[in-house]
Amino acid sequence: MSNTRDFEPTDWKSPEMQARTRKRYRRDRTFRAMGFSAVILAGLFLVLLIGRIFQDGAMGFMQTSIDLDVTFSEELLGDPRAMDAEAFEEQVRQANMSRLLDAALTAQFPEVTSRRDRRALIRIISGGAREQLRNMVLETPAIVGTTKTVRLLAADDIDQLRKGKIDANEPEANRKVKDQELGWYNKLVEEDRVSLNFHTRFFTSGDSRDPELAGIWGATVGSAITLVVTLLIAFPVGVLTAIYLEEFAPQNRLTDIIEININNLAAVPSIVFGLLGLAVFLGVMHLPRSAPLVGGLTLALMTLPTIIIAARASIKAVPPSIRDAARGLGASPMQVVFHHVVPLAMPGILTGTIIGMAQALGETAPLLMIGMVAFIVDIPGGFTDAATALPVQIFLWADSPERAFVEKTSAAIMVLLTFLIAMNGLAIWLRQKFERQW
Amino acid sequence: MLDMSTKVDPMTEIRTPKMAAKDVNVFYGDNHAVKGISLDLYRDEVTALIGPSGCGKSTFLRCLNRMNDTVATCRVEGNITLDGDDIYDPKIDVVQLRARVGMVFQKPNPFPKSIYDNIAYGPRIHGLARERADLDEIVATSLEKAGLWNEVKDRLDSPGTALSGGQQQRLCIARAIAVNPEVILMDEPCSALDPIATAKVEALIDELKGRYAIIIVTHSMQQAARISQKTAFFHMGDLVEHGDTTQIFTAPKEERTRDYITGRFG
Repeated sequence: MSNTRDFEPTDWKSPEMQARTRKRYRRDRTFRAMGFSAVILAGLFLVLLIGRIFQDGAMGFMQTSIDLDVTFSEELLGDPRAMDAEAFEEQVRQANMSRLLDAALTAQFPEVTSRRDRRALIRIISGGAREQLRNMVLETPAIVGTTKTVRLLAADDIDQLRKGKIDANEPEANRKVKDQELGWYNKLVEEDRVSLNFHTRFFTSGDSRDPELAGIWGATVGSAITLVVTLLIAFPVGVLTAIYLEEFAPQNRLTDIIEININNLAAVPSIVFGLLGLAVFLGVMHLPRSAPLVGGLTLALMTLPTIIIAARASIKAVPPSIRDAARGLGASPMQVVFHHVVPLAMPGILTGTIIGMAQALGETAPLLMIGMVAFIVDIPGGFTDAATALPVQIFLWADSPERAFVEKTSAAIMVLLTFLIAMNGLAIWLRQKFERQW
Repeated sequence: MLDMSTKVDPMTEIRTPKMAAKDVNVFYGDNHAVKGISLDLYRDEVTALIGPSGCGKSTFLRCLNRMNDTVATCRVEGNITLDGDDIYDPKIDVVQLRARVGMVFQKPNPFPKSIYDNIAYGPRIHGLARERADLDEIVATSLEKAGLWNEVKDRLDSPGTALSGGQQQRLCIARAIAVNPEVILMDEPCSALDPIATAKVEALIDELKGRYAIIIVTHSMQQAARISQKTAFFHMGDLVEHGDTTQIFTAPKEERTRDYITGRFG
């Protein structure tokens, strides 16, 4: 002990020491400031993004309508009192509803006489107006023979004009709505026949070439069916894989390789899964193109690694003492896992699954590969019907030339984000509900 | 020296051990953790396993109900019998073995379930209760035997994890008793408890003595002296000395034992 030199007492008040302290404090402050600015910056981007989408999309939920006095002529539609219901229905279905529109517009604008102008005039009303009138007659046949003020959807250009997206002050050549149409529009406005209403059709109809008729219900149902398939495949397979790898598989080189590859799969670009789905499900198994079944299978492949990784992590987080306790009482390996480990890991497994599902819900690229990018008007009714999905719908609309699809795109993004937020909310709720203390 | 604790029945003058280990070797990979240990464990006794950390006493204890099976690298050689049957025989059902040889762990590890379900779990998986009333009875009896009944009888539905540390450990003992074991293994059951809780658990062990063969691993020499009738001293994987507790603590035959119990190393 005698040969060890004693340390000199440290002079904590020396200038060097004080400089050190100051430097340490400065670094600490700089780090905090940087972290704080990073958070602020990220927040700003988020606000910008959401704000921009809202600004564009809010109007997507509204649609311009024009009130017209429509005379439901007996001559064209037939007399429901004089003929049996079937024959009447047949006649209504065959009837050229444009003539009703034409008549109503002529009544409104008696000064428009030339064929050409009248054809231009009828185009300020949406093409869907005929279907709207037909449905009215079919619903209440008694309407025939009367004249009613009907609120008809305006064409997309008139809608954009009403929403101020088309500037009336621009020179005519640069403007989508010509002077003539503008005159008609202004006259309608003067008579208080133009109104902007909440557009329920947006939530209830499928895709359309006409922005005012296009809706997201088809894509929503397509996404829902696709996600059901994904969940049915990915959840059991993923969770069982995780349980087997974590609790039963021997620790050897093979399981190491499997583990590494699962982690790698999580990082594989999604379009590669799309190509795989194209090759396997369409090429080899000859499943129908554009079907939610195939989309779901492809997304299940993509979601599997996410679920497996999350499930393994939460299984691993269950304290070994719980396993010991159960084993010590004579629980079989399966009882240990299913009575104790899985229930305790469930919040984590469910959270991981929902995150994976949310990822699948937002996935576009693999669906393009398997043909879910087609233009589909009908609402899908089953696993093999042609369908599209919400993000693909957004992609399709963003690609459309019509000005009015811009706001539809943003509106669809808002709907998609709502679903994503709801799913994440569900994940948080499930985690808190099932979380246990030990 | 006379056996001070067990009243030896003349009929069983030559007592048969409940469990017997013969020349047991345990390896973790290349690490030879337990070296050729032979030890008899009797039904009406508390046997304490003492020794410094890493001496193999816990490993040996976990061989007695094959808890080491789950450690992939662990290899057990030699012969361990329960009532004369080799417990490492491939024909032995490990689930039944662990029901007969219960275990209490170092850290209280109640299931994150209600107190009732903690106790009822073992009887349920082994089908020991035919009706709910039977199960209620088992739960009540086990908690009474563990001296916990009066403290928890009004809140059997509250989570077992909400109890204090000492209560949790007694809950774990009650849980082990509930499957009606013949042997109870305790791996440092008091090391995470305060002195008051420790005293309660020790009193409980004293209470249970005679009904079960109890084997307890402990780091506390005083505890071993207080509660055990037999003591085995392990060092570096060897069983250095074993015998009556009073003899080990008052007149150890081996130098190493003497050094350890007098605190010279360990």
